[in-house]
Amino acid sequence: MKPTMKLAHALAAAALIAATAATATLAQQGINASQMTNSLAAVSRSGKLSLTGAQLRQAVLDNIRNYPGAVPSHPLSFPELEGLTQIVVEVDFDFNSDVIKPSSYRTVGAIADALHHPLLLGYGFLVIGHTDAVGGRAYNVGLSQRRAEAIRAALIDPFGVNPAVLEAVGMGEEQLRDPKHPTAAINRRVQLVNVGKKFCFGRSGEQFVCP
Amino acid sequence: MKQTAFVPALLFLLAGIGAAAAQTMSYAEAISQVTTMCRNDIARFCKGVPLGPRLRACFDANQARMSPQCQQTTRTVFASITRRATAQRDIGDICSADILRLCGTSFADASLVECMSGLAPQAMSPRCYQTFLDTGWATERTRP
Repeated sequence: MKPTMKLAHALAAAALIAATAATATLAQQGINASQMTNSLAAVSRSGKLSLTGAQLRQAVLDNIRNYPGAVPSHPLSFPELEGLTQIVVEVDFDFNSDVIKPSSYRTVGAIADALHHPLLLGYGFLVIGHTDAVGGRAYNVGLSQRRAEAIRAALIDPFGVNPAVLEAVGMGEEQLRDPKHPTAAINRRVQLVNVGKKFCFGRSGEQFVCP
Repeated sequence: MKQTAFVPALLFLLAGIGAAAAQTMSYAEAISQVTTMCRNDIARFCKGVPLGPRLRACFDANQARMSPQCQQTTRTVFASITRRATAQRDIGDICSADILRLCGTSFADASLVECMSGLAPQAMSPRCYQTFLDTGWATERTRP
Protein backbone atom coordinates (compact mmCIF):
# COMPACT_ATOMS: atom_id res chain seq x y z
CA MET A 1 0.00 0.00 0.00
CA LYS A 2 2.74 2.38 0.95
CA PRO A 3 4.71 2.55 -2.29
CA THR A 4 1.65 2.90 -4.54
CA MET A 5 0.22 5.61 -2.38
CA LYS A 6 3.48 7.49 -2.31
CA LEU A 7 3.92 7.11 -6.03
CA ALA A 8 0.40 8.36 -6.63
CA HIS A 9 1.14 11.41 -4.53
CA ALA A 10 4.41 12.03 -6.24
CA LEU A 11 2.94 11.61 -9.68
CA ALA A 12 -0.01 13.82 -8.91
CA ALA A 13 2.29 16.56 -7.76
CA ALA A 14 4.63 16.04 -10.70
CA ALA A 15 1.78 16.08 -13.20
CA LEU A 16 0.36 19.16 -11.58
CA ILE A 17 3.62 21.00 -11.79
CA ALA A 18 4.75 19.64 -15.12
CA ALA A 19 1.62 21.24 -16.57
CA THR A 20 3.10 24.66 -15.89
CA ALA A 21 5.86 24.20 -18.40
CA ALA A 22 3.40 23.98 -21.28
CA THR A 23 0.64 26.35 -20.25
CA ALA A 24 1.14 29.72 -18.67
CA THR A 25 -0.48 31.45 -15.73
CA LEU A 26 -3.60 29.40 -15.27
CA ALA A 27 -1.78 26.14 -14.86
CA GLN A 28 0.72 27.78 -12.56
CA GLN A 29 -2.02 28.80 -10.23
CA GLY A 30 -2.83 25.11 -9.99
CA ILE A 31 0.39 24.63 -8.06
CA ASN A 32 -0.97 24.17 -4.69
CA ALA A 33 0.98 24.43 -1.49
CA SER A 34 -1.57 22.43 0.47
CA GLN A 35 -1.27 19.50 -1.91
CA MET A 36 2.46 19.59 -1.37
CA THR A 37 1.95 19.85 2.36
CA ASN A 38 -0.40 16.88 2.35
CA SER A 39 1.93 14.75 0.30
CA LEU A 40 4.96 15.61 2.36
CA ALA A 41 3.22 15.27 5.69
CA ALA A 42 2.45 11.59 5.22
CA VAL A 43 5.44 11.22 7.46
CA SER A 44 3.77 9.17 10.16
CA ARG A 45 4.07 6.32 7.67
CA SER A 46 7.63 7.24 6.97
CA GLY A 47 10.86 7.12 8.88
CA LYS A 48 14.08 8.83 9.49
CA LEU A 49 16.91 8.67 6.99
CA SER A 50 20.16 7.32 8.37
CA LEU A 51 22.11 8.17 5.20
CA THR A 52 23.71 11.60 5.23
CA GLY A 53 23.84 13.97 2.29
CA ALA A 54 27.58 13.40 2.11
CA GLN A 55 27.06 9.64 1.83
CA LEU A 56 24.56 10.11 -0.96
CA ARG A 57 26.95 12.40 -2.84
CA GLN A 58 29.74 9.86 -2.39
CA ALA A 59 27.55 7.04 -3.69
CA VAL A 60 26.80 9.09 -6.80
CA LEU A 61 30.51 9.59 -7.49
CA ASP A 62 31.23 5.91 -6.76
CA ASN A 63 28.58 4.91 -9.28
CA ILE A 64 30.35 6.84 -12.01
CA ARG A 65 33.73 5.40 -11.06
CA ASN A 66 32.50 1.80 -10.71
CA TYR A 67 30.32 1.80 -13.81
CA PRO A 68 31.95 4.16 -16.27
CA GLY A 69 30.38 4.89 -19.63
CA ALA A 70 28.51 7.59 -21.51
CA VAL A 71 25.25 6.76 -19.75
CA PRO A 72 24.80 4.96 -16.42
CA SER A 73 24.72 1.20 -17.03
CA HIS A 74 23.89 0.57 -13.40
CA PRO A 75 21.10 2.76 -12.04
CA LEU A 76 21.81 4.04 -8.61
CA SER A 77 19.30 2.98 -6.02
CA PHE A 78 18.70 3.94 -2.41
CA PRO A 79 15.88 1.74 -1.09
CA GLU A 80 15.91 3.55 2.24
CA LEU A 81 15.48 6.91 0.55
CA GLU A 82 12.81 5.63 -1.81
CA GLY A 83 10.77 4.47 1.17
CA LEU A 84 10.44 8.01 2.52
CA THR A 85 7.66 10.49 1.95
CA GLN A 86 8.46 12.72 -0.98
CA ILE A 87 7.24 14.69 -3.93
CA VAL A 88 8.75 15.33 -7.31
CA VAL A 89 8.53 18.81 -8.75
CA GLU A 90 9.64 20.39 -11.95
CA VAL A 91 11.72 23.50 -11.58
CA ASP A 92 13.00 24.96 -14.83
CA PHE A 93 16.53 26.31 -15.14
CA ASP A 94 18.32 28.18 -17.85
CA PHE A 95 20.23 25.80 -20.11
CA ASN A 96 23.45 24.55 -18.53
CA SER A 97 22.93 26.93 -15.64
CA ASP A 98 21.83 26.97 -12.03
CA VAL A 99 19.66 30.07 -12.57
CA ILE A 100 16.00 29.25 -11.89
CA LYS A 101 13.69 30.46 -14.65
CA PRO A 102 11.19 33.11 -13.54
CA SER A 103 8.39 30.81 -14.73
CA SER A 104 9.33 28.49 -11.85
CA TYR A 105 9.51 31.13 -9.10
CA ARG A 106 5.95 30.38 -8.11
CA THR A 107 6.76 26.68 -7.70
CA VAL A 108 9.64 27.49 -5.36
CA GLY A 109 7.34 29.84 -3.44
CA ALA A 110 4.75 27.07 -3.13
CA ILE A 111 7.40 24.69 -1.76
CA ALA A 112 8.24 27.36 0.82
CA ASP A 113 4.56 27.72 1.74
CA ALA A 114 4.35 23.97 2.29
CA LEU A 115 7.50 23.95 4.43
CA HIS A 116 6.09 26.75 6.61
CA HIS A 117 3.00 24.72 7.42
CA PRO A 118 2.85 23.39 11.00
CA LEU A 119 2.46 19.86 9.69
CA LEU A 120 5.95 20.08 8.24
CA LEU A 121 7.60 22.41 10.70
CA GLY A 122 10.73 20.93 12.19
CA TYR A 123 11.10 18.19 9.56
CA GLY A 124 14.29 17.84 7.58
CA PHE A 125 14.25 17.78 3.78
CA LEU A 126 16.61 16.69 1.08
CA VAL A 127 16.44 18.77 -2.07
CA ILE A 128 17.71 16.36 -4.72
CA GLY A 129 18.46 17.58 -8.22
CA HIS A 130 18.42 15.33 -11.28
CA THR A 131 19.46 16.07 -14.85
CA ASP A 132 18.82 14.28 -18.11
CA ALA A 133 21.68 12.48 -19.89
CA VAL A 134 22.79 15.38 -22.08
CA GLY A 135 26.36 16.19 -21.10
CA GLY A 136 28.99 14.28 -19.17
CA ARG A 137 27.98 12.35 -16.09
CA ALA A 138 30.41 14.00 -13.70
CA TYR A 139 29.51 17.41 -15.09
CA ASN A 140 25.84 16.66 -14.54
CA VAL A 141 26.46 15.73 -10.93
CA GLY A 142 27.99 19.17 -10.41
CA LEU A 143 25.21 20.92 -12.34
CA SER A 144 22.44 19.18 -10.41
CA GLN A 145 24.22 19.91 -7.14
CA ARG A 146 24.41 23.61 -7.99
CA ARG A 147 20.76 23.60 -9.04
CA ALA A 148 19.65 21.90 -5.84
CA GLU A 149 21.67 24.47 -3.91
CA ALA A 150 20.06 27.30 -5.85
CA ILE A 151 16.63 26.06 -4.80
CA ARG A 152 17.79 25.66 -1.23
CA ALA A 153 19.20 29.20 -1.22
CA ALA A 154 15.93 30.67 -2.55
CA LEU A 155 13.88 28.74 0.00
CA ILE A 156 16.03 30.25 2.75
CA ASP A 157 16.16 33.81 1.38
CA PRO A 158 13.74 35.35 0.41
CA PHE A 159 11.31 32.62 1.48
CA GLY A 160 12.39 32.29 5.09
CA VAL A 161 12.77 28.50 5.44
CA ASN A 162 15.05 27.40 8.28
CA PRO A 163 18.47 26.56 6.68
CA ALA A 164 19.03 23.81 9.24
CA VAL A 165 16.22 21.67 7.77
CA LEU A 166 17.41 21.76 4.15
CA GLU A 167 20.19 19.82 2.50
CA ALA A 168 20.97 19.89 -1.23
CA VAL A 169 22.16 16.82 -3.15
CA GLY A 170 22.89 16.54 -6.86
CA MET A 171 22.47 13.13 -8.47
CA GLY A 172 23.21 14.13 -12.02
CA GLU A 173 21.92 11.58 -14.49
CA GLU A 174 22.59 8.60 -12.20
CA GLN A 175 18.88 8.06 -11.53
CA LEU A 176 17.17 8.60 -14.85
CA ARG A 177 13.45 8.39 -14.50
CA ASP A 178 13.04 7.21 -18.06
CA PRO A 179 16.26 5.33 -18.93
CA LYS A 180 14.85 4.38 -22.35
CA HIS A 181 14.65 8.07 -23.22
CA PRO A 182 17.68 9.48 -21.41
CA THR A 183 17.28 12.99 -22.81
CA ALA A 184 13.54 13.26 -22.09
CA ALA A 185 12.34 16.21 -20.03
CA ILE A 186 10.82 13.89 -17.42
CA ASN A 187 14.35 13.09 -16.26
CA ARG A 188 14.99 16.71 -15.26
CA ARG A 189 13.38 17.07 -11.87
CA VAL A 190 13.72 17.94 -8.26
CA GLN A 191 12.91 15.49 -5.53
CA LEU A 192 11.88 16.83 -2.16
CA VAL A 193 12.25 14.11 0.46
CA ASN A 194 11.03 14.32 4.02
CA VAL A 195 13.86 12.77 6.05
CA GLY A 196 12.16 12.93 9.43
CA LYS A 197 11.76 15.20 12.39
CA LYS A 198 14.80 17.33 13.24
CA PHE A 199 13.37 19.91 15.58
CA CYS A 200 10.63 19.77 18.15
CA PHE A 201 8.57 22.65 19.50
CA GLY A 202 7.55 23.56 22.98
CA ARG A 203 4.19 24.85 24.06
CA SER A 204 5.00 28.39 23.00
CA GLY A 205 6.60 27.42 19.74
CA GLU A 206 10.18 27.44 21.00
CA GLN A 207 12.40 25.17 18.97
CA PHE A 208 14.77 22.51 20.25
CA VAL A 209 16.51 19.45 18.87
CA CYS A 210 14.15 16.51 19.31
CA PRO A 211 15.19 14.17 22.10
CA MET B 1 -29.39 54.56 -12.90
CA LYS B 2 -26.67 56.32 -11.04
CA GLN B 3 -27.38 54.29 -7.97
CA THR B 4 -27.12 50.90 -9.71
CA ALA B 5 -23.66 51.76 -10.92
CA PHE B 6 -22.62 53.04 -7.54
CA VAL B 7 -23.69 50.08 -5.43
CA PRO B 8 -21.65 47.39 -7.19
CA ALA B 9 -18.65 49.68 -7.19
CA LEU B 10 -18.99 50.19 -3.46
CA LEU B 11 -19.45 46.48 -2.82
CA PHE B 12 -16.38 45.75 -4.87
CA LEU B 13 -14.40 48.27 -2.88
CA LEU B 14 -15.59 46.90 0.45
CA ALA B 15 -14.88 43.33 -0.62
CA GLY B 16 -11.38 44.39 -1.53
CA ILE B 17 -10.78 46.02 1.83
CA GLY B 18 -12.20 43.03 3.67
CA ALA B 19 -9.96 40.62 1.84
CA ALA B 20 -6.89 42.74 2.45
CA ALA B 21 -7.56 42.92 6.17
CA ALA B 22 -8.37 39.26 6.58
CA GLN B 23 -5.63 37.55 4.63
CA THR B 24 -1.93 37.58 4.18
CA MET B 25 -0.25 36.46 1.02
CA SER B 26 1.42 33.12 0.38
CA TYR B 27 5.02 33.10 -0.80
CA ALA B 28 3.83 31.64 -4.12
CA GLU B 29 1.42 34.54 -4.61
CA ALA B 30 3.95 37.10 -3.38
CA ILE B 31 6.69 36.10 -5.80
CA SER B 32 4.17 35.89 -8.67
CA GLN B 33 2.96 39.42 -8.05
CA VAL B 34 6.46 40.82 -7.83
CA THR B 35 7.67 39.09 -10.99
CA THR B 36 4.56 40.18 -12.88
CA MET B 37 4.38 43.80 -11.74
CA CYS B 38 8.16 44.33 -11.76
CA ARG B 39 8.93 42.48 -14.98
CA ASN B 40 10.40 45.53 -16.72
CA ASP B 41 12.24 46.70 -13.62
CA ILE B 42 13.84 43.29 -13.17
CA ALA B 43 14.91 43.29 -16.82
CA ARG B 44 16.41 46.75 -16.35
CA PHE B 45 18.03 46.61 -12.93
CA CYS B 46 18.38 42.93 -11.99
CA LYS B 47 18.85 41.15 -15.29
CA GLY B 48 20.21 37.65 -14.79
CA VAL B 49 20.22 37.96 -11.00
CA PRO B 50 19.11 34.59 -9.62
CA LEU B 51 16.16 34.17 -7.29
CA GLY B 52 17.61 34.14 -3.81
CA PRO B 53 19.51 36.53 -1.56
CA ARG B 54 21.07 38.31 -4.54
CA LEU B 55 17.72 39.16 -6.10
CA ARG B 56 16.46 40.52 -2.79
CA ALA B 57 19.65 42.58 -2.46
CA CYS B 58 19.20 43.89 -6.00
CA PHE B 59 15.68 44.99 -5.16
CA ASP B 60 16.90 46.71 -2.01
CA ALA B 61 19.67 48.51 -3.90
CA ASN B 62 17.46 49.72 -6.76
CA GLN B 63 14.14 50.22 -5.02
CA ALA B 64 14.13 54.01 -5.40
CA ARG B 65 14.73 53.81 -9.15
CA MET B 66 12.06 51.24 -9.87
CA SER B 67 8.68 52.07 -11.40
CA PRO B 68 5.93 53.29 -9.07
CA GLN B 69 3.83 50.20 -9.83
CA CYS B 70 6.73 47.92 -8.89
CA GLN B 71 7.53 49.90 -5.74
CA GLN B 72 3.91 49.79 -4.66
CA THR B 73 3.66 46.04 -5.29
CA THR B 74 6.93 45.33 -3.52
CA ARG B 75 5.81 47.31 -0.48
CA THR B 76 2.44 45.57 -0.28
CA VAL B 77 3.90 42.14 -0.82
CA PHE B 78 6.69 42.67 1.67
CA ALA B 79 4.30 43.94 4.34
CA SER B 80 2.01 40.97 3.76
CA ILE B 81 4.61 38.22 3.91
CA THR B 82 6.27 39.89 6.90
CA ARG B 83 2.94 39.87 8.68
CA ARG B 84 2.45 36.21 7.80
CA ALA B 85 5.95 35.20 8.91
CA THR B 86 5.56 37.11 12.17
CA ALA B 87 2.20 35.46 12.84
CA GLN B 88 3.65 32.02 12.15
CA ARG B 89 6.50 32.76 14.52
CA ASP B 90 4.41 34.25 17.32
CA ILE B 91 1.19 32.25 17.22
CA GLY B 92 2.47 29.83 19.83
CA ASP B 93 2.89 32.67 22.32
CA ILE B 94 -0.20 34.64 21.39
CA CYS B 95 -2.56 31.69 21.26
CA SER B 96 -1.06 29.32 23.82
CA ALA B 97 -3.90 29.79 26.33
CA ASP B 98 -6.60 29.48 23.65
CA ILE B 99 -4.95 26.48 22.05
CA LEU B 100 -4.66 24.65 25.34
CA ARG B 101 -8.19 25.52 26.45
CA LEU B 102 -10.01 24.98 23.16
CA CYS B 103 -7.96 22.36 21.38
CA GLY B 104 -6.29 20.57 24.26
CA THR B 105 -3.07 20.56 22.29
CA SER B 106 0.16 22.46 22.05
CA PHE B 107 1.91 24.32 19.27
CA ALA B 108 2.87 22.51 16.04
CA ASP B 109 0.63 19.57 16.73
CA ALA B 110 -0.66 18.13 13.47
CA SER B 111 -4.26 18.58 14.58
CA LEU B 112 -3.82 22.20 15.65
CA VAL B 113 -4.81 23.78 12.35
CA GLU B 114 -7.83 21.51 11.97
CA CYS B 115 -8.98 22.35 15.47
CA MET B 116 -8.48 26.10 15.16
CA SER B 117 -10.12 26.22 11.74
CA GLY B 118 -13.21 24.58 13.21
CA LEU B 119 -13.59 27.13 16.00
CA ALA B 120 -15.95 30.07 15.89
CA PRO B 121 -13.91 33.29 15.64
CA GLN B 122 -15.39 34.63 18.85
CA ALA B 123 -14.26 31.53 20.76
CA MET B 124 -10.66 32.76 20.58
CA SER B 125 -9.26 36.02 21.85
CA PRO B 126 -9.39 38.63 19.05
CA ARG B 127 -5.62 38.84 18.91
CA CYS B 128 -5.26 35.08 18.64
CA TYR B 129 -7.90 34.94 15.92
CA GLN B 130 -6.23 37.67 13.89
CA THR B 131 -2.84 35.98 14.30
CA PHE B 132 -4.30 32.67 13.16
CA LEU B 133 -5.77 34.34 10.07
CA ASP B 134 -2.43 36.00 9.40
CA THR B 135 -0.55 32.69 9.44
CA GLY B 136 -2.39 31.70 6.26
CA TRP B 137 -2.79 28.20 7.67
CA ALA B 138 -6.57 28.39 7.74
CA THR B 139 -6.89 29.21 4.05
CA GLU B 140 -4.28 26.66 3.10
CA ARG B 141 -5.78 24.13 5.40
CA THR B 142 -5.07 20.57 4.48
CA ARG B 143 -7.93 18.24 3.94
CA PRO B 144 -7.65 14.50 4.41
